[in-house]
Amino acid sequence: MTAFISQGTASDVVGRTPTPRPSVRGSRLRTRRLRSRASTVIASVILLAFTAVVLTPIWVLVMVSLHHGTSSPSNPFALPAPIDFQNYINAFQNMHYLRSVGNTLIITLATAVITVFAASLAAWGIVRHTRRWTRTLYQIFVSGLTIPIFVVLTPLYEVMQKLHLLDSYIGIVLAYTATIMPFAVFFFAGFLRTVPPELEEAAAVDGAGLIRTYWKIVFPLLRPATATLAIFVILQVWNDLILPLVLLSSDDKQTVTLAVYATIGTHSMSPEQLLPTLVLGVLPLFIVFLALQRYVVAGIAVGAGK
Amino acid sequence: MQIRGRSAMVLIAPAALIFAVFVIYPLIRGVQLSFTDAIGPSGGNFVGLKNYMHALSDPTVLHALFNTIVYTAVVVVVQNGLALFVAFWLFKLERVRNFVRAGLLLPAMMAFVAVGYLWSYMYSPLGGPIDSVMDALGLHWLEPIWLGDPHTALMSIAAIYIWMFLGYTATIYLANYMAIDPALIEAANLDGASGWRRFWNVDWRLLAPSFTINITLSVIGSLRVFDLPFIMTQGAPEDATQTLSLVIYNNSFANYQFAYGTTLAVLLLVLTIVVGVTQATLLRRREADLA
Repeated sequence: MTAFISQGTASDVVGRTPTPRPSVRGSRLRTRRLRSRASTVIASVILLAFTAVVLTPIWVLVMVSLHHGTSSPSNPFALPAPIDFQNYINAFQNMHYLRSVGNTLIITLATAVITVFAASLAAWGIVRHTRRWTRTLYQIFVSGLTIPIFVVLTPLYEVMQKLHLLDSYIGIVLAYTATIMPFAVFFFAGFLRTVPPELEEAAAVDGAGLIRTYWKIVFPLLRPATATLAIFVILQVWNDLILPLVLLSSDDKQTVTLAVYATIGTHSMSPEQLLPTLVLGVLPLFIVFLALQRYVVAGIAVGAGK
Repeated sequence: MQIRGRSAMVLIAPAALIFAVFVIYPLIRGVQLSFTDAIGPSGGNFVGLKNYMHALSDPTVLHALFNTIVYTAVVVVVQNGLALFVAFWLFKLERVRNFVRAGLLLPAMMAFVAVGYLWSYMYSPLGGPIDSVMDALGLHWLEPIWLGDPHTALMSIAAIYIWMFLGYTATIYLANYMAIDPALIEAANLDGASGWRRFWNVDWRLLAPSFTINITLSVIGSLRVFDLPFIMTQGAPEDATQTLSLVIYNNSFANYQFAYGTTLAVLLLVLTIVVGVTQATLLRRREADLA
């Protein structure tokens, strides 16, 4: 019996059609395969239903946001009739939407550029100059991965005040760069260790200086890692509330998350008025996710490879 | 290529400088501030361990500490359990894989602020969608005031966090699954070990690397939980959703008690280190045992 089962499973796995035999054995095999196909279908349906349940709050968010005025929706799951965009127009104005998106873009871009260059240069130095001090430095960077932002938040505010960087783009960009630095150095160093140093040596033999070698050889090699890190920075900066909340105070520097918080925090709103603000708040990242899904998934999966 | 010492120093300097000024110095300065009576970002006198003694007898802090630990334990266990289950099936079911993964990842793309306000509406006792579904199913008698009842508030928030990051965790497990040599899984299937038997005997060992990563990520993420309670409950009802990060924020930036705020920050750091080191040791030993 055991032998029979393992035989049956084997042909299932390899996908060979079992040779038709007029015996009981053949029909049993067929029932087995049917049963396994049925279980595949059932499992797929269950997973799809589960996904639908997970997505329901987002569905509700969109549906209710399209309701008219301040009338409570009788059914938050159904498409309202008629669809009304007045609450969106109000939210768009209350949030100073274009300005907030622009501010967040500037901060994200600056953070990404500084982090990518500072971290990749540092990782290159650490990986290609193997001494005790570089190893120690690497350990210090990596230990920063576990420091919650709240541990440094209060003195960070003090530092920013002393440097006159409160309520400035430079200040918040440097704060993001510093908090993302451990991950960036860790990530680039891990990537560079898998790259053979021969290419860089060839460039050095050809008389290229350090910066030239970095720009012509190392930086292009790092491109996939850079793309992943850029996505990480985007997710981090677009979704963060605490640093803008503490470091930015003037309205015209508000980021999108801060605009959502400020808009809702200061008004008492009905759901129909509140939810358009949230949709506008999450829309940019949803677009990024749908457009760059492959990179986002690769970025998340990056640690699991080795 | 080996880079010479001085060049390496120049390459590392910008990153090291930024990290030193905006993370390492604040870290040291925070420890120093915690021994003073500073109010706002100015000076303060040395007061020894007074802040720490006060913290350890402050009921709000003790609630926050307890809540943070309970919350972390629940989120880490449930999120990883569910994600493993999802990844196990997604690995098998190639047809629905991309769609389900994208769907489950979508909540992780939302800002905490948006999630917090959205779920305040979902949980609302005044016509919130969850209660209307339960009413429709005849479960009205089961409905608590989700965020208003001290027995359910913290777990209601934990559920949202799991909702957000389930797809993220599952994506990491799935990536590990797909990196496994298919011959190993096929061999197990050939030996007649399929389904749960194969999972426990084969997959579970091969998933050790992603297990380590996921546990680490979810522990670190949960210990610093702030945004959802900040937006949704402000620690209420009866301190049931106070967390360490929330108490730090409220002391430092709502009351300008910088010294006390940094004292609590040091406690959070100690908690993170203790939990982190314990878990890293256990997980490394486990990976070594399984190898």
